[in-house]
Amino acid sequence: MGELSKDKIEKGIEVFKNQKDSKLRAHINSCVHCGLCAESCTYYLAMPDAKFVPAYKVDLVASVYRRYCTLTGKVFPGLVGARKLDDATIEEMVDLLFGACTMCGRCSTHCSIGLDISFLVRTGRKMLTNMGYEPAALQTSVNTALETGNNMGISDTDFIETIEWLQEDLQMEVNDDQAKIPLNEKGKEILYTLNPREPKFFPLSISAMAKIFYAANESWTISTKMYDITNYAYYTGNQDESKIIVKRLYDEMENLEAKKCVLAECGHGSRAFRWEGPNVIEKAYPFEVLTSVELIAQYIRDGRIKLDPEKIQELVTIHDPCNLVRSGGIVQEQRFIMENAVKNFTEMTPHGIENYCCGGGGGQLAMSEYNERRMKIGKLKADQIIKTGAKIVASPCHNCIDQLAHLNSTYKLGIQAKTIAEIVADALVLE
Amino acid sequence: MTWYYWLAAASLLINVVILLIHIFRLTTSGKPTDFSKQRGKLTPAIAFAFSGAMSPTRKESAFLHLPTYIAGIFYHLGTFTAIFLFFFNLAQISVNESFSRFIAGFLMISAVSGIGIILKRLFVNRLRALSNPDDYISNILVTLFQIFSVFILFDDAWFSAYYIVVSLLLLYIPVGKLKHAVYFFAARYHLGYFYGWRDVWPPKKF
Ligand code: SF4
Ligand code: SF4
Repeated sequence: MGELSKDKIEKGIEVFKNQKDSKLRAHINSCVHCGLCAESCTYYLAMPDAKFVPAYKVDLVASVYRRYCTLTGKVFPGLVGARKLDDATIEEMVDLLFGACTMCGRCSTHCSIGLDISFLVRTGRKMLTNMGYEPAALQTSVNTALETGNNMGISDTDFIETIEWLQEDLQMEVNDDQAKIPLNEKGKEILYTLNPREPKFFPLSISAMAKIFYAANESWTISTKMYDITNYAYYTGNQDESKIIVKRLYDEMENLEAKKCVLAECGHGSRAFRWEGPNVIEKAYPFEVLTSVELIAQYIRDGRIKLDPEKIQELVTIHDPCNLVRSGGIVQEQRFIMENAVKNFTEMTPHGIENYCCGGGGGQLAMSEYNERRMKIGKLKADQIIKTGAKIVASPCHNCIDQLAHLNSTYKLGIQAKTIAEIVADALVLE
Repeated sequence: MTWYYWLAAASLLINVVILLIHIFRLTTSGKPTDFSKQRGKLTPAIAFAFSGAMSPTRKESAFLHLPTYIAGIFYHLGTFTAIFLFFFNLAQISVNESFSRFIAGFLMISAVSGIGIILKRLFVNRLRALSNPDDYISNILVTLFQIFSVFILFDDAWFSAYYIVVSLLLLYIPVGKLKHAVYFFAARYHLGYFYGWRDVWPPKKF
């Protein structure tokens, strides 16, 4: 296997240079190879092979760093396990950094040193993408979003028709022909975003949120130009493409003069726009950003919506999306909502910031070549669900819902996977 | 003063200078900047990163691997003890006999822990796959340092070998993974900062 061209290597190791702070330097030099992170990773738990140990994935990135960015690695590569960027290294990196890590961050909280492992995996993904080795399927989602404005390639006409149909439905359900799903209205309090899976496959979750907005008498709108909260360029690590996607929503917020941007139930989308977005465009947002879960919790606290938990009698549990919980701090809100919306609730073990990834994170659902692994690691989640005995699994993330649906059919769980908004809409009391 | 005394002193100087360069590079790389709107509190989160988050009741790397975790704690405490002893030797301060016996006993436990860690690395497949020569050399040098620290407590004849081992260790620290002695603090700080900014740490009760 030959070393890559000098140009390509330069592009790859670019990710180690021009850092804005010491974070990368600190984490990439810290692993002591103790291997104690193994059991914190769903991949290793499902497939106990050394290559699935988080530190092994970290070392793929760190070994390249040592080879090209440290004196010892340049002079004595064998001594410190410094690796050349060649075809074999690339092949292993693509397989493990894209295909064996959901970037769930669980290992980081348990690492004996305190490495931000998912940050290092993402650095490795950035490196591969810079050199043109991002998985084609994942890049297709990014390209579709860049070309059409949403990752599902839904045309404006189809989108508008879907919304109009949902609006009619809403009017019938709430028995009010003034009930609206407002499109492109300026000066509203809220610009609400969607995961394109909603208009494409799960339109009822849009109805659910519309019903909640109606009950709360909210001033809101959806943009037909930019409603897509997802950002798969966050997963490929392509900063330029990620920036275009973030900037589109930012510009639409300014264009529609909305005060708050409310993020649909999408873990990675929320993370990519709320937390990473301002850093990608290198400026703070002049508007407020919050998730729909925080907003619904606020409505309940303020008495803007009323719920009747008697309406949902089945046992409900929560699957916590890693990006929302461990990388976003949204832990209590969904539990507070469940306390008010359902009669019987139970927790998985572990849950909250200790939760296991469902297996669909890190762009896994978009990369069919890793489907078998995705279902294997999802077994852990399936077992957790079975232990709770729950009939409904609530999760504030459409990506997780998709994976839960796959787990449901593969492992015969006999559950319904629902978004938080869908559960709240079912429990709503309209006065 | 013997030549090996001066060898160890010179190695210490080189070690300190190189580690200071690492610290300088870390501290001059810039403070963390985040343009997103801060949701949580940084100071308690960073404090938690260095305290509660490392507790054996929280960290799976600790409670799922208790024997290794305990061996690791002894090994690190033994290393710090041996370092203090080295400074005493360098300053020509002698340690009284009963204290010597106590330190020797402790260093023996820590050296045995070190040997256990080396053996684990050698015999556990997943650890071997993860290891490079640096992992073994680092482990061996630190363990030898502890063993020779015990020898010199009882017999001055070991001083030449002791100072040579110390010198090798000091010169090796900046080369391989032992420099985590510096980077560990920066990594934990950044982890605390990240989770604090987003209100993940310190964890809330619910
Ligand atoms: S627990 Fe942390 S320091 Fe130990 S091997 Fe895993 S990543 Fe490296
Ligand atoms: S981030 Fe998650 S999937 Fe990736 S190595 Fe860590 S625990 Fe495993």
